[in-house]
Amino acid sequence: MKTVDFMQILKEALDFQQINFSPETNLKAIDGFDSMSIMTIIAIVDEHFSKKLTARQLASITTVGSLIELIGKEKFVD
Amino acid sequence: MKIEYYLPATVFTNQDLEKIFPKLPAAIVEEKIGIRERHISAQNETALDLAIEASKMVLEGFDKDRIDFILLCTQSPDYFLPSGSCILQDKLGLITGAGALDFNLGCSGYIYGLALAKGLLQSRIATNVLLVTAETYSKYVHPRDRANRAIFGDGAAATIIQLSDLEKIHGFELGTDGSGYGNLIVTNGALRQPYNETVKETLDENGNLYSPNHLYMNGQEIFNFTIEKVPGLIEKILKKNNFTIEEIDYFIFHQANKYMLEYLRKKIRIPSEKFHNNTLLSGNTVSSTIPIALKESMNLNIIKPGDKVLLAGFGVGYSWGATILEI
Repeated sequence: MKTVDFMQILKEALDFQQINFSPETNLKAIDGFDSMSIMTIIAIVDEHFSKKLTARQLASITTVGSLIELIGKEKFVD
Repeated sequence: MKIEYYLPATVFTNQDLEKIFPKLPAAIVEEKIGIRERHISAQNETALDLAIEASKMVLEGFDKDRIDFILLCTQSPDYFLPSGSCILQDKLGLITGAGALDFNLGCSGYIYGLALAKGLLQSRIATNVLLVTAETYSKYVHPRDRANRAIFGDGAAATIIQLSDLEKIHGFELGTDGSGYGNLIVTNGALRQPYNETVKETLDENGNLYSPNHLYMNGQEIFNFTIEKVPGLIEKILKKNNFTIEEIDYFIFHQANKYMLEYLRKKIRIPSEKFHNNTLLSGNTVSSTIPIALKESMNLNIIKPGDKVLLAGFGVGYSWGATILEI
């Protein structure tokens, strides 16, 4: 998957359509980012990458880039 | 199978929740977690009281002297001992020749109850089993734990399972993974760690307050667990009973939360019209969500006699189980 496509999927699923996502976007700083957002991230990572993120890993997420790193950069084709 | 359920009188709405937690608008709660209201037991009303009410309802029109086994599933007992099921026998005026036992399970409790009932009936240890699930998680939740106060509701359900129901209860798949025990737990108050008045309270990153004296639930880890285990559980139970997904008329999973259920539905590819997802008016009543959903679905003619219904419970323990019932 391309990074830009992943960011689009993420943005839509999190319902943050109005925000321009880049790898530097700090997810946790977005108004409205809450525990449901984390559930959404768990679901997306499972659905698109068949990968499980532990609670500890999820707690370490800051930017979109940090989430991409957790998933594994090798899973993206850019 | 006769099913009735009882929810305590006090209704705790999202508007009530908003008064206590102004940053959590009522409409957002309903939209995000699919719950509009939940019933909360009174201070002096226990799970056993709810069990008694549900049992009285299910015994109406049934000769109660025929009940020869009582199973009570609860994690909110009146006492450490004796078993609540013994007290239930007495309060309901059931025969003293009846067997009775409590078992301590949550989300998977109804499935395990059906499995135990099937075993008792098949072996002729019993001929008419009263299976009751009863829970008051609200008594374990910290008053400032916004998330868990929104999710959990109190309630009880009572089911009579007779010998004639035996052929309608298909095979079971059960499972356990105790490594997840710490992700849904009330740590203090029993014998491993006593209740501690001076215990430290913790605010989680979403502003929910809890302590080891109260219910702790790691929603993210539980979600991970369900994604990992439930699809395989459904595959196994279908294979075990020689059914395909298409041959099942309705799916009732433990009604934990709307979002997780919808994700599981899509992952397992269950058509939405065959999938129960409704916690709107009762919240997560733990071991009673499945019997409540069964009863409601029968009341609304969503399921009819002859329908094959797949039931799956999963959660606290970790514990999980599934079976297929013919209505």
